[in-house]
Amino acid sequence: MSGTIGTKQWLWLHKEDNVAMALSDFAAGAALSIEGNSVTLKDAVEYGHKFSLVAIPKGEDVIKYSETIGVASRDIAAGEHVHVHNVQSLRAKRQ
Amino acid sequence: MASMLGYRSEGGQPGIRNHVVILSLNSFCNRAVEIIAQTVKGTVPLTHPFGRNEIGIYKDRLERTIEGVLLHPNVHSALLVGYEPASTRETLAKVRGLTGKKIESVLVLEGGTLSAIKQGAEKAMWLAIEASEAKRSPIEFKDLIFGVKCGGSDATSGVASNAAIGEAVDIIIGAGGTAIFSETTEILGAEHILARRAVSETVAQKILAAVKQNEDMALAAGVDLLGVNPVPDNVRGGITTIEEKSLGAILKAGKAPIQDVLGYGERPMKPGLYFMDSPSAASEVTTGLSAAGAQMVLFSTGTCNPVGNPISPVLKVTSNPRTVSRMREHLDVEVSDILTSDMSLREGGEKIVEAIIRVANGKLTTAEVLGHNEFAPLPVGL
Repeated sequence: MSGTIGTKQWLWLHKEDNVAMALSDFAAGAALSIEGNSVTLKDAVEYGHKFSLVAIPKGEDVIKYSETIGVASRDIAAGEHVHVHNVQSLRAKRQ
Repeated sequence: MASMLGYRSEGGQPGIRNHVVILSLNSFCNRAVEIIAQTVKGTVPLTHPFGRNEIGIYKDRLERTIEGVLLHPNVHSALLVGYEPASTRETLAKVRGLTGKKIESVLVLEGGTLSAIKQGAEKAMWLAIEASEAKRSPIEFKDLIFGVKCGGSDATSGVASNAAIGEAVDIIIGAGGTAIFSETTEILGAEHILARRAVSETVAQKILAAVKQNEDMALAAGVDLLGVNPVPDNVRGGITTIEEKSLGAILKAGKAPIQDVLGYGERPMKPGLYFMDSPSAASEVTTGLSAAGAQMVLFSTGTCNPVGNPISPVLKVTSNPRTVSRMREHLDVEVSDILTSDMSLREGGEKIVEAIIRVANGKLTTAEVLGHNEFAPLPVGL
Protein backbone atom coordinates (compact mmCIF):
# COMPACT_ATOMS: atom_id res chain seq x y z
CA MET A 1 0.00 0.00 0.00
CA SER A 2 1.07 3.53 -0.50
CA GLY A 3 0.95 6.51 1.77
CA THR A 4 2.15 7.21 5.24
CA ILE A 5 1.62 4.70 7.98
CA GLY A 6 2.53 5.44 11.55
CA THR A 7 2.97 7.97 14.25
CA LYS A 8 5.17 11.01 13.95
CA GLN A 9 8.18 9.29 15.56
CA TRP A 10 8.98 7.37 12.42
CA LEU A 11 7.76 6.98 8.88
CA TRP A 12 7.24 3.66 7.13
CA LEU A 13 6.27 4.59 3.58
CA HIS A 14 5.25 1.25 2.08
CA LYS A 15 4.48 -2.23 3.34
CA GLU A 16 7.21 -3.58 1.02
CA ASP A 17 9.87 -1.35 2.59
CA ASN A 18 12.43 -3.08 4.82
CA VAL A 19 13.57 0.27 6.26
CA ALA A 20 11.76 3.11 8.03
CA MET A 21 12.79 6.72 8.61
CA ALA A 22 13.33 8.30 12.03
CA LEU A 23 11.37 11.47 12.73
CA SER A 24 13.18 11.93 16.03
CA ASP A 25 16.75 11.49 17.30
CA PHE A 26 16.78 7.99 18.75
CA ALA A 27 19.40 6.58 21.12
CA ALA A 28 20.62 3.00 20.76
CA GLY A 29 18.30 0.67 22.65
CA ALA A 30 15.13 2.62 21.87
CA ALA A 31 12.23 0.19 21.60
CA LEU A 32 9.75 1.05 18.84
CA SER A 33 6.46 -0.53 17.95
CA ILE A 34 5.84 -0.25 14.24
CA GLU A 35 2.50 -1.51 12.97
CA GLY A 36 2.46 -4.24 15.59
CA ASN A 37 6.12 -5.24 15.13
CA SER A 38 8.61 -4.35 17.82
CA VAL A 39 12.03 -3.11 16.76
CA THR A 40 14.84 -2.35 19.19
CA LEU A 41 17.40 0.02 17.73
CA LYS A 42 20.95 -1.33 17.83
CA ASP A 43 22.45 2.07 16.96
CA ALA A 44 21.62 5.70 17.56
CA VAL A 45 19.53 6.90 14.60
CA GLU A 46 19.31 10.61 13.80
CA TYR A 47 16.26 12.46 12.52
CA GLY A 48 15.78 11.71 8.82
CA HIS A 49 18.00 8.63 8.86
CA LYS A 50 16.88 5.06 8.21
CA PHE A 51 16.79 1.91 10.31
CA SER A 52 16.09 -1.69 9.32
CA LEU A 53 12.77 -3.27 10.26
CA VAL A 54 14.01 -6.80 9.54
CA ALA A 55 17.38 -8.45 8.99
CA ILE A 56 18.79 -7.69 5.51
CA PRO A 57 21.52 -10.18 4.52
CA LYS A 58 24.56 -8.97 2.57
CA GLY A 59 23.71 -8.53 -1.13
CA GLU A 60 19.95 -8.25 -0.55
CA ASP A 61 17.93 -5.23 -1.72
CA VAL A 62 17.30 -2.33 0.61
CA ILE A 63 13.74 -1.24 -0.16
CA LYS A 64 12.19 2.23 0.31
CA TYR A 65 9.34 3.80 -1.74
CA SER A 66 8.69 0.09 -2.56
CA GLU A 67 11.75 0.34 -4.85
CA THR A 68 15.37 -0.80 -4.54
CA ILE A 69 17.59 2.00 -3.22
CA GLY A 70 20.73 -0.17 -3.10
CA VAL A 71 21.99 -3.44 -1.64
CA ALA A 72 23.29 -4.36 1.80
CA SER A 73 27.11 -4.24 1.65
CA ARG A 74 27.23 -6.45 4.76
CA ASP A 75 24.69 -8.31 6.87
CA ILE A 76 22.32 -5.84 8.48
CA ALA A 77 20.42 -6.91 11.61
CA ALA A 78 16.93 -5.63 12.42
CA GLY A 79 17.12 -2.25 14.20
CA GLU A 80 20.46 -1.14 12.72
CA HIS A 81 21.16 2.32 11.34
CA VAL A 82 20.99 1.81 7.55
CA HIS A 83 23.19 4.23 5.65
CA VAL A 84 26.37 4.58 3.57
CA HIS A 85 28.35 2.28 5.91
CA ASN A 86 26.19 -0.76 5.12
CA VAL A 87 24.42 0.06 1.82
CA GLN A 88 25.91 0.23 -1.66
CA SER A 89 24.35 1.97 -4.67
CA LEU A 90 23.87 -0.17 -7.77
CA ARG A 91 24.28 2.70 -10.20
CA ALA A 92 27.16 4.55 -11.94
CA LYS A 93 29.62 2.53 -9.92
CA ARG A 94 33.22 2.03 -10.96
CA GLN A 95 34.00 -1.64 -11.47
CA MET B 1 -8.49 30.38 -6.90
CA ALA B 2 -7.29 33.93 -6.21
CA SER B 3 -6.53 36.03 -9.28
CA MET B 4 -3.05 36.85 -10.55
CA LEU B 5 -1.81 39.98 -12.27
CA GLY B 6 1.16 40.00 -14.62
CA TYR B 7 2.87 42.12 -17.29
CA ARG B 8 1.54 41.53 -20.77
CA SER B 9 3.53 42.50 -23.83
CA GLU B 10 2.81 42.05 -27.54
CA GLY B 11 3.59 38.50 -28.56
CA GLY B 12 4.92 36.03 -26.07
CA GLN B 13 3.87 34.99 -22.60
CA PRO B 14 3.13 37.51 -19.84
CA GLY B 15 5.71 38.06 -17.13
CA ILE B 16 5.39 38.20 -13.33
CA ARG B 17 8.35 40.58 -13.05
CA ASN B 18 9.35 43.43 -15.33
CA HIS B 19 13.13 43.46 -15.19
CA VAL B 20 15.52 45.65 -17.14
CA VAL B 21 18.58 43.44 -17.43
CA ILE B 22 22.17 44.50 -17.96
CA LEU B 23 23.68 41.40 -19.54
CA SER B 24 27.38 40.70 -19.92
CA LEU B 25 28.33 38.88 -23.13
CA ASN B 26 31.88 38.26 -21.99
CA SER B 27 33.78 38.06 -18.72
CA PHE B 28 35.69 41.25 -19.61
CA CYS B 29 32.39 43.13 -19.60
CA ASN B 30 31.34 42.12 -16.09
CA ARG B 31 32.87 45.18 -14.42
CA ALA B 32 30.94 47.59 -16.66
CA VAL B 33 27.74 45.58 -16.08
CA GLU B 34 28.15 45.78 -12.29
CA ILE B 35 28.71 49.55 -12.30
CA ILE B 36 25.85 50.28 -14.72
CA ALA B 37 23.45 48.24 -12.58
CA GLN B 38 24.64 49.99 -9.42
CA THR B 39 24.15 53.36 -11.11
CA VAL B 40 20.72 52.85 -12.68
CA LYS B 41 17.96 52.02 -10.22
CA GLY B 42 15.62 49.26 -11.35
CA THR B 43 18.15 47.26 -13.36
CA VAL B 44 19.48 43.74 -12.76
CA PRO B 45 23.12 42.79 -13.50
CA LEU B 46 23.83 39.42 -15.14
CA THR B 47 27.51 38.50 -15.09
CA HIS B 48 29.39 35.24 -15.74
CA PRO B 49 32.93 34.13 -16.59
CA PHE B 50 32.22 32.96 -20.18
CA GLY B 51 31.72 34.28 -23.70
CA ARG B 52 34.93 33.46 -25.54
CA ASN B 53 36.07 30.30 -27.34
CA GLU B 54 33.29 27.99 -26.14
CA ILE B 55 32.65 25.04 -28.47
CA GLY B 56 30.01 22.40 -29.15
CA ILE B 57 27.46 21.67 -26.44
CA TYR B 58 28.89 24.44 -24.23
CA LYS B 59 28.57 27.09 -26.94
CA ASP B 60 24.97 25.94 -27.60
CA ARG B 61 24.04 26.07 -23.92
CA LEU B 62 25.55 29.54 -23.46
CA GLU B 63 23.85 30.96 -26.57
CA ARG B 64 20.51 29.37 -25.70
CA THR B 65 20.69 30.76 -22.17
CA ILE B 66 21.51 34.28 -23.35
CA GLU B 67 18.66 34.16 -25.85
CA GLY B 68 16.36 32.70 -23.20
CA VAL B 69 17.13 35.58 -20.83
CA LEU B 70 16.52 38.23 -23.47
CA LEU B 71 13.25 36.65 -24.66
CA HIS B 72 12.10 35.90 -21.11
CA PRO B 73 8.55 37.04 -20.18
CA ASN B 74 9.90 38.55 -16.93
CA VAL B 75 12.30 40.78 -18.89
CA HIS B 76 10.99 44.16 -20.04
CA SER B 77 14.11 45.20 -21.95
CA ALA B 78 17.85 44.70 -21.92
CA LEU B 79 21.22 46.30 -22.36
CA LEU B 80 23.89 43.97 -23.74
CA VAL B 81 27.43 44.82 -22.73
CA GLY B 82 29.60 43.19 -25.38
CA TYR B 83 33.34 43.07 -25.81
CA GLU B 84 34.02 43.37 -29.53
CA PRO B 85 31.66 44.40 -32.33
CA ALA B 86 31.34 41.25 -34.49
CA SER B 87 30.03 38.78 -31.89
CA THR B 88 27.94 41.45 -30.15
CA ARG B 89 26.30 42.44 -33.46
CA GLU B 90 25.60 38.78 -34.20
CA THR B 91 23.85 38.23 -30.84
CA LEU B 92 21.92 41.48 -31.22
CA ALA B 93 20.72 40.65 -34.75
CA LYS B 94 19.62 37.20 -33.69
CA VAL B 95 17.55 38.27 -30.66
CA ARG B 96 16.09 41.30 -32.42
CA GLY B 97 14.80 38.88 -35.05
CA LEU B 98 12.99 36.95 -32.32
CA THR B 99 11.48 39.70 -30.18
CA GLY B 100 10.14 43.19 -30.53
CA LYS B 101 11.30 44.27 -27.07
CA LYS B 102 14.00 46.91 -26.72
CA ILE B 103 17.49 45.38 -26.70
CA GLU B 104 20.30 47.96 -26.63
CA SER B 105 24.05 47.41 -26.62
CA VAL B 106 27.40 48.98 -25.78
CA LEU B 107 30.95 47.77 -26.46
CA VAL B 108 33.92 47.67 -24.12
CA LEU B 109 36.52 47.42 -26.90
CA GLU B 110 35.44 50.77 -28.34
CA GLY B 111 36.66 53.23 -25.73
CA GLY B 112 37.16 51.01 -22.69
CA THR B 113 35.23 50.10 -19.57
CA LEU B 114 34.63 53.70 -18.42
CA SER B 115 33.18 54.70 -21.77
CA ALA B 116 30.96 51.58 -21.83
CA ILE B 117 29.73 52.43 -18.32
CA LYS B 118 28.80 55.99 -19.32
CA GLN B 119 27.10 55.04 -22.58
CA GLY B 120 25.47 52.00 -20.99
CA ALA B 121 24.05 53.90 -18.01
CA GLU B 122 22.59 56.53 -20.36
CA LYS B 123 20.81 53.83 -22.37
CA ALA B 124 19.72 51.77 -19.35
CA MET B 125 18.16 54.70 -17.50
CA TRP B 126 15.55 55.29 -20.22
CA LEU B 127 14.73 51.57 -20.30
CA ALA B 128 14.24 51.61 -16.50
CA ILE B 129 11.98 54.68 -16.66
CA GLU B 130 9.90 53.07 -19.42
CA ALA B 131 9.65 49.78 -17.50
CA SER B 132 8.46 51.60 -14.39
CA GLU B 133 5.26 52.63 -16.20
CA ALA B 134 4.17 49.08 -17.02
CA LYS B 135 0.79 48.06 -15.61
CA ARG B 136 -0.30 44.63 -14.43
CA SER B 137 -3.30 42.88 -15.94
CA PRO B 138 -4.94 39.50 -15.19
CA ILE B 139 -3.05 36.33 -16.03
CA GLU B 140 -3.85 32.66 -15.52
CA PHE B 141 -1.93 29.47 -14.83
CA LYS B 142 -2.11 28.62 -18.53
CA ASP B 143 0.14 31.66 -19.14
CA LEU B 144 2.81 30.37 -16.80
CA ILE B 145 5.73 27.97 -16.92
CA PHE B 146 7.11 26.73 -13.61
CA GLY B 147 10.59 25.33 -13.13
CA VAL B 148 10.70 22.64 -10.45
CA LYS B 149 13.90 21.88 -8.59
CA CYS B 150 15.08 20.31 -5.36
CA GLY B 151 18.36 21.20 -3.72
CA GLY B 152 20.02 20.71 -0.38
CA SER B 153 17.84 17.62 -0.14
CA ASP B 154 17.55 15.56 3.00
CA ALA B 155 15.28 12.70 3.95
CA THR B 156 12.36 15.07 4.65
CA SER B 157 12.49 16.36 1.03
CA GLY B 158 11.83 12.92 -0.40
CA VAL B 159 8.79 12.21 1.78
CA ALA B 160 7.15 15.61 2.25
CA SER B 161 8.28 18.86 0.54
CA ASN B 162 8.96 17.25 -2.87
CA ALA B 163 5.63 15.43 -2.71
CA ALA B 164 3.80 18.64 -1.70
CA ILE B 165 5.41 20.49 -4.65
CA GLY B 166 4.28 17.56 -6.80
CA GLU B 167 0.71 18.21 -5.65
CA ALA B 168 1.13 21.93 -6.54
CA VAL B 169 2.45 20.92 -9.98
CA ASP B 170 -0.60 18.69 -10.49
CA ILE B 171 -2.87 21.66 -9.63
CA ILE B 172 -0.96 23.94 -12.03
CA ILE B 173 -1.05 21.43 -14.89
CA GLY B 174 -4.71 20.72 -14.20
CA ALA B 175 -5.31 24.46 -14.73
CA GLY B 176 -3.59 24.37 -18.15
CA GLY B 177 -0.13 25.42 -16.98
CA THR B 178 3.33 24.07 -17.72
CA ALA B 179 6.07 22.68 -15.48
CA ILE B 180 9.63 21.59 -16.17
CA PHE B 181 11.68 19.41 -13.86
CA SER B 182 15.28 18.57 -14.44
CA GLU B 183 18.54 17.12 -13.07
CA THR B 184 19.31 13.99 -15.05
CA THR B 185 21.63 12.57 -12.37
CA GLU B 186 18.75 12.84 -9.92
CA ILE B 187 16.33 10.69 -11.84
CA LEU B 188 19.00 7.98 -12.06
CA GLY B 189 17.49 4.96 -10.32
CA ALA B 190 13.94 6.22 -10.88
CA GLU B 191 13.99 6.60 -14.68
CA HIS B 192 11.94 3.43 -15.18
CA ILE B 193 9.04 5.05 -13.28
CA LEU B 194 9.26 8.26 -15.35
CA ALA B 195 9.55 6.33 -18.62
CA ARG B 196 6.22 4.65 -17.83
CA ARG B 197 4.69 8.13 -17.56
CA ALA B 198 5.94 9.38 -20.96
CA VAL B 199 3.25 10.29 -23.52
CA SER B 200 4.87 8.02 -26.11
CA GLU B 201 7.45 5.28 -26.50
CA THR B 202 9.72 7.82 -28.23
CA VAL B 203 9.64 10.11 -25.20
CA ALA B 204 10.17 7.13 -22.86
CA GLN B 205 13.29 6.20 -24.84
CA LYS B 206 14.52 9.82 -24.66
CA ILE B 207 14.24 9.74 -20.85
CA LEU B 208 16.15 6.44 -20.62
CA ALA B 209 18.78 7.64 -23.12
CA ALA B 210 19.39 10.87 -21.17
CA VAL B 211 20.07 8.87 -18.00
CA LYS B 212 22.25 6.32 -19.81
CA GLN B 213 24.35 9.11 -21.32
CA ASN B 214 24.73 10.74 -17.91
CA GLU B 215 25.76 7.49 -16.23
CA ASP B 216 28.22 6.71 -19.06
CA MET B 217 29.69 10.20 -18.70
CA ALA B 218 30.34 9.58 -14.99
CA LEU B 219 31.95 6.22 -15.74
CA ALA B 220 34.03 7.64 -18.63
CA ALA B 221 35.31 10.33 -16.29
CA GLY B 222 36.39 7.59 -13.90
CA VAL B 223 33.92 8.87 -11.33
CA ASP B 224 32.15 6.74 -8.79
CA LEU B 225 28.90 8.64 -8.53
CA LEU B 226 28.69 7.85 -4.86
CA GLY B 227 30.73 10.67 -3.38
CA VAL B 228 29.66 13.14 -6.10
CA ASN B 229 25.93 12.64 -5.73
CA PRO B 230 24.42 12.35 -3.14
CA VAL B 231 26.56 15.27 -1.94
CA PRO B 232 27.89 15.34 1.65
CA ASP B 233 24.99 17.42 3.03
CA ASN B 234 22.50 14.94 1.50
CA VAL B 235 24.33 12.08 3.23
CA ARG B 236 24.36 13.94 6.53
CA GLY B 237 20.61 14.49 6.09
CA GLY B 238 20.03 10.73 5.80
CA ILE B 239 20.09 10.07 2.02
CA THR B 240 22.19 6.98 1.33
CA THR B 241 22.30 6.36 -2.44
CA ILE B 242 21.52 8.13 -5.70
CA GLU B 243 18.59 5.73 -6.19
CA GLU B 244 17.05 6.85 -2.90
CA LYS B 245 17.66 10.51 -3.72
CA SER B 246 16.12 10.09 -7.19
CA LEU B 247 13.03 8.20 -5.98
CA GLY B 248 12.37 11.08 -3.59
CA ALA B 249 13.33 13.74 -6.16
CA ILE B 250 10.84 12.65 -8.83
CA LEU B 251 7.93 13.22 -6.44
CA LYS B 252 8.31 16.97 -7.07
CA ALA B 253 7.14 16.43 -10.66
CA GLY B 254 3.68 15.28 -9.57
CA LYS B 255 1.75 12.67 -11.52
CA ALA B 256 1.07 14.21 -14.97
CA PRO B 257 2.20 12.52 -18.19
CA ILE B 258 5.64 13.64 -19.45
CA GLN B 259 5.26 15.44 -22.77
CA ASP B 260 8.89 15.54 -23.89
CA VAL B 261 12.55 15.79 -22.95
CA LEU B 262 14.01 19.28 -23.43
CA GLY B 263 17.64 20.31 -23.85
CA TYR B 264 19.26 22.74 -21.39
CA GLY B 265 17.39 26.06 -21.63
CA GLU B 266 15.04 24.76 -24.33
CA ARG B 267 11.51 26.19 -24.31
CA PRO B 268 8.47 23.85 -24.16
CA MET B 269 6.09 24.36 -27.07
CA LYS B 270 2.77 23.43 -25.44
CA PRO B 271 1.37 23.09 -21.90
CA GLY B 272 2.01 20.11 -19.61
CA LEU B 273 4.90 18.49 -17.78
CA TYR B 274 8.41 18.31 -19.27
CA PHE B 275 11.79 16.90 -18.27
CA MET B 276 14.88 19.01 -19.03
CA ASP B 277 18.10 17.03 -19.54
CA SER B 278 20.66 18.92 -17.46
CA PRO B 279 23.30 18.69 -14.77
CA SER B 280 22.04 19.08 -11.22
CA ALA B 281 23.80 21.94 -9.40
CA ALA B 282 21.25 24.50 -8.17
CA SER B 283 22.55 27.67 -9.87
CA GLU B 284 22.96 25.96 -13.24
CA VAL B 285 19.55 24.30 -13.10
CA THR B 286 17.63 27.42 -12.06
CA THR B 287 19.44 29.35 -14.82
CA GLY B 288 18.45 26.67 -17.36
CA LEU B 289 14.83 26.53 -16.17
CA SER B 290 14.61 30.32 -16.39
CA ALA B 291 16.18 30.30 -19.86
CA ALA B 292 13.50 27.79 -20.91
CA GLY B 293 10.94 30.49 -20.09
CA ALA B 294 9.96 29.53 -16.53
CA GLN B 295 8.52 32.66 -14.88
CA MET B 296 8.99 31.09 -11.42
CA VAL B 297 11.01 28.24 -9.95
CA LEU B 298 9.54 26.04 -7.20
CA PHE B 299 12.43 24.84 -5.07
CA SER B 300 12.15 22.09 -2.49
CA THR B 301 14.88 22.01 0.13
CA GLY B 302 15.72 19.92 3.17
CA THR B 303 18.99 21.17 4.63
CA CYS B 304 18.51 24.47 2.74
CA ASN B 305 20.09 26.14 -0.26
CA PRO B 306 20.23 29.95 -0.58
CA VAL B 307 20.15 29.99 -4.41
CA GLY B 308 18.12 32.58 -6.32
CA ASN B 309 17.84 33.70 -9.93
CA PRO B 310 18.04 37.23 -11.38
CA ILE B 311 15.05 36.76 -13.72
CA SER B 312 12.70 34.18 -12.21
CA PRO B 313 11.70 34.29 -8.53
CA VAL B 314 12.74 31.10 -6.73
CA LEU B 315 10.18 29.96 -4.14
CA LYS B 316 11.77 27.86 -1.38
CA VAL B 317 9.69 25.14 0.23
CA THR B 318 10.81 22.97 3.14
CA SER B 319 9.29 20.32 5.37
CA ASN B 320 12.17 20.24 7.86
CA PRO B 321 11.29 22.28 10.98
CA ARG B 322 14.94 22.23 12.11
CA THR B 323 15.96 23.90 8.87
CA VAL B 324 13.29 26.53 9.44
CA SER B 325 14.83 27.47 12.79
CA ARG B 326 18.38 27.38 11.40
CA MET B 327 17.92 29.01 7.96
CA ARG B 328 14.64 30.99 8.16
CA GLU B 329 15.93 33.83 5.94
CA HIS B 330 16.25 31.49 2.94
CA LEU B 331 12.78 29.91 3.08
CA ASP B 332 9.36 30.98 1.81
CA VAL B 333 6.90 28.16 2.53
CA GLU B 334 6.94 25.60 5.33
CA VAL B 335 5.02 22.34 4.99
CA SER B 336 6.54 20.58 8.02
CA ASP B 337 3.04 19.82 9.33
CA ILE B 338 3.00 16.94 6.83
CA LEU B 339 5.56 15.22 9.08
CA THR B 340 4.84 16.73 12.49
CA SER B 341 1.08 17.11 12.43
CA ASP B 342 -1.88 16.18 10.27
CA MET B 343 -1.35 18.19 7.06
CA SER B 344 -2.03 16.04 3.99
CA LEU B 345 0.22 16.25 0.91
CA ARG B 346 -2.67 17.84 -0.97
CA GLU B 347 -3.05 20.51 1.72
CA GLY B 348 0.70 21.11 1.48
CA GLY B 349 0.32 21.53 -2.29
CA GLU B 350 -2.54 23.99 -1.81
CA LYS B 351 -0.45 26.04 0.64
CA ILE B 352 2.31 26.22 -1.99
CA VAL B 353 -0.18 27.29 -4.69
CA GLU B 354 -1.37 30.14 -2.42
CA ALA B 355 2.26 31.28 -2.02
CA ILE B 356 2.79 31.02 -5.80
CA ILE B 357 -0.17 33.32 -6.45
CA ARG B 358 1.18 35.92 -4.01
CA VAL B 359 4.67 35.82 -5.55
CA ALA B 360 3.18 36.04 -9.05
CA ASN B 361 1.35 39.15 -7.84
CA GLY B 362 4.62 40.76 -6.81
CA LYS B 363 5.41 39.54 -3.29
CA LEU B 364 9.19 39.21 -3.07
CA THR B 365 10.75 35.84 -2.27
CA THR B 366 13.50 35.59 0.36
CA ALA B 367 16.09 34.95 -2.38
CA GLU B 368 14.92 38.07 -4.28
CA VAL B 369 15.04 40.36 -1.26
CA LEU B 370 18.49 39.06 -0.22
CA GLY B 371 19.80 39.68 -3.75
CA HIS B 372 20.55 36.04 -4.51
CA ASN B 373 20.95 36.48 -8.28
CA GLU B 374 22.97 33.42 -9.19
CA PHE B 375 23.39 33.25 -12.95
CA ALA B 376 25.32 30.23 -14.23
CA PRO B 377 24.72 29.86 -17.97
CA LEU B 378 27.22 27.13 -18.71
CA PRO B 379 26.74 23.97 -16.67
CA VAL B 380 29.59 21.50 -16.92
CA GLY B 381 29.13 19.05 -14.01
CA LEU B 382 26.89 16.08 -13.34
